Amino acid sequence: MSKTSQTTEDETKRTDQPLEVTAGETREQTQDEWTDYDFESQAKFSVEDLDVYYGDDHALKGVSMEIPENSVTALIGPSGCGKSTFLRCLNRMNDRISAARIDGSVELDGEEIYQDGVNLVELRKRVGMVFQSPNPFPKSIRDNISYGPRKHGDLETGFLSNLLGRSDEDEVDELVERSLSQAALWDEVEDRLDDNALGLSGGQQQRLCIARALATDPEVLLMDEPASALDPIATSKIEDLVHELSEDYTVVIVTHNMQQAARISDQTAVFLTGGELVEYGDTDQIFEDPESQRVEDYISGKFG
Amino acid sequence: MAGAVESSLVSEDTSGTEAVAAGVVGIAAILFGISLGSMFELLSITDPIAGIPMVALLGTLLTLLGLGVIGFGLGSRFGYVATDPRPSAGLVASVAFSGIWFAVGGLVASQSFGLGTVGWVAVAFVTGGLAFAGTALPREDIGSTLPVGVFAVFVGVVFLTGVIGPSWVWDLGWEQQASFNAEFSIPVITAFCSLLVSWASAKAYGGFGARGRHVGAYLLVYLNALSIIAVLFLLVAFTVFKGLPGLFNGLTFGLGSGPETTLFGFTFAWPFAWPFVMNGVALLNDVNGVLPAIVGTIWLVIGAVVFAVPLGVGAAVFITEYADRGRFTQVVEVATNGLWSTPSIVFGLFGLAFLVPRLGNGKSLLAGMLTLGFMLLPLVVITSREAMLAVPDEYRDASAALGVTKWQTIRSVVLPASLPGIVTGIILGVGRIAGETAPILLTMSGSVAPPGSQTVDVIGGFSFTSSPPFVSNPELLQATSALPYQLYSLITAGVGQSSNIANIEQFRWATALILLVVVLSFYAVGIATRYYFRRKLQHE
Repeated sequence: MSKTSQTTEDETKRTDQPLEVTAGETREQTQDEWTDYDFESQAKFSVEDLDVYYGDDHALKGVSMEIPENSVTALIGPSGCGKSTFLRCLNRMNDRISAARIDGSVELDGEEIYQDGVNLVELRKRVGMVFQSPNPFPKSIRDNISYGPRKHGDLETGFLSNLLGRSDEDEVDELVERSLSQAALWDEVEDRLDDNALGLSGGQQQRLCIARALATDPEVLLMDEPASALDPIATSKIEDLVHELSEDYTVVIVTHNMQQAARISDQTAVFLTGGELVEYGDTDQIFEDPESQRVEDYISGKFG
Repeated sequence: MAGAVESSLVSEDTSGTEAVAAGVVGIAAILFGISLGSMFELLSITDPIAGIPMVALLGTLLTLLGLGVIGFGLGSRFGYVATDPRPSAGLVASVAFSGIWFAVGGLVASQSFGLGTVGWVAVAFVTGGLAFAGTALPREDIGSTLPVGVFAVFVGVVFLTGVIGPSWVWDLGWEQQASFNAEFSIPVITAFCSLLVSWASAKAYGGFGARGRHVGAYLLVYLNALSIIAVLFLLVAFTVFKGLPGLFNGLTFGLGSGPETTLFGFTFAWPFAWPFVMNGVALLNDVNGVLPAIVGTIWLVIGAVVFAVPLGVGAAVFITEYADRGRFTQVVEVATNGLWSTPSIVFGLFGLAFLVPRLGNGKSLLAGMLTLGFMLLPLVVITSREAMLAVPDEYRDASAALGVTKWQTIRSVVLPASLPGIVTGIILGVGRIAGETAPILLTMSGSVAPPGSQTVDVIGGFSFTSSPPFVSNPELLQATSALPYQLYSLITAGVGQSSNIANIEQFRWATALILLVVVLSFYAVGIATRYYFRRKLQHE
């Protein structure tokens, strides 16, 4: 594709957007302007005025953004800018840190997840998560995949179920095959489903973790730098996978790697030091013509 | 500069010197072996080896060794051997050698020349100072060989001239009339000398300098490890050796030759008769045995483990997974560590004062089980906690992110991952409690030489009753014996001499051996369990 046509395409895209920066206006945007940003698809998450404190440390400052459904949203920014913290707010993993305090509102499909009576089990079933370093359980591949559904009581296996004739072993097999195929791992591990998952390579382990997260049939997949511990080949496999998954799932991915964000995401949110969301919009726009000078400096490598 | 010897990347042909150095190390190793052997009375210093009196042999070898090392040092100093020495042998070696020569000078002055306190101290300081100077001042090749070599030659000559011979005794002149005899002194001195010389010759073998020091340290570390293993092995071998005759006394094979046993309602006869482990002590027995004590020990350990492990692991789960890390967990940690170091007799006293009056007001198997369980509890808590802390937080995060509750995570991820560590803790704890004497003495001891009929039958004693608690097991509340306790009473209290045990010495050692075997069997079971769980966790 020639460079000119790309630019034209970008320009057309931008004219569609309601938020047009007119000439003469300052390039520095205020946050309110682009939180109204109207994506084509419906908002899966809408976050409003989210503040996170770790003790006295104000880790996230008044972040508001909407994450559209069935697309890939990348969160980029330098270390310590709060992008992982933001990600962990979306499935309330920050609750596990006793020093963390969270203010503001996060809505999933219009339902507030930070209110009394939220069922964390249900929330995390709907919002799956993949971590930075692959962390399969020291169990067999099959047990890793079926772990979530079994613990949720969706599948019955084991001695007693067998005895009562209620065993769902066939469904387990089906689930394992489906999840592993979705994570593009089935062909590689088909013959050794009962081997320990720790015997897989790093990239395979990470795809197993993705398969494990998919097994609970989530709507959203949060990924915290899923490829940072992997080699380039494994990384490209994960990237392809993310791309495919975005057809059926809402993917939110934190990454340090700006090329990766540019390659795989539909929207990009840039967090900069201090826990602020500085800019959020279409990936092409963020990378080619960012509104904010700070973002431009960061992306071009002058800062961060 | 003294140490300026050109060193090249590839050294010249050194095979000749290496062969000599290896020979010296070999002789030193032989000497070390002989001295270890005679320390454990496997060899006698009065017996000749190959026609040569032992002391003379030791003296000759030591002299040879000393001369060899001195030759090495001189050869290196005058350039016949290619080495890479430092300017000095170093402070540690200087201090060590001056200490040795301080002792030698003092001993010679006071023992051989009969000088008074002032005299021997003066001589000792002179020899010590000379040795210090002789080590620190010259180049490393002289400094680390000459003082050692001269010392070895000196000791060798002392042995050869009979100044210290097989009948030599050094009376310390203390109130208790303590003295060192030759049986003990000669092996110790020989072992010490051969260690020193082998260190020096290993240094020479490495060509002094950094490589020489490395080789010297390597040798010392290896010899140290080997001799510790050898001592442990000798200890076990000694017990086995002494215990075997008594253990297999009267062993016969053949169908139906053994006693009849009823287990879970089935009665069968053992195809062999092994009186020592199948009999008690009774007047009519041909061969007496320790069956009640063996069974008592096994039930004791099982009871303690069954009592302590669930409680301990539960407590560890609470303080590791649920309680916030802070003052409370610190206090619990200090308390459990303190409990683990509490002397066992204190636990025994607790059992005697608290448990015994509440459990049928008599010493009993159950009281012993609970007392030992209390002893085991802190170690189970400590090791389980360590094992759970070692489980990576990633597992917990991954499980939480899948929407799995904390308890389910603990049960299906944390506990399985920490099982090998927990089992290790139980193994260590069982090793300690199975050999405990004091708590048993206070809480469950039965008769010291129990007849076979007093064997506890915990399985057979179990029965259902019609009134609460609907089960009864009087065997649990019976006083019974255990191996460590029986051994203790056989040895110290002189019990058994008056009873009808034919060969009390054999009986004691066989009891000790059986105790060792029972404890090691528990170990084996524990290690096999741990291996099984590790295999499950790791990718194999």
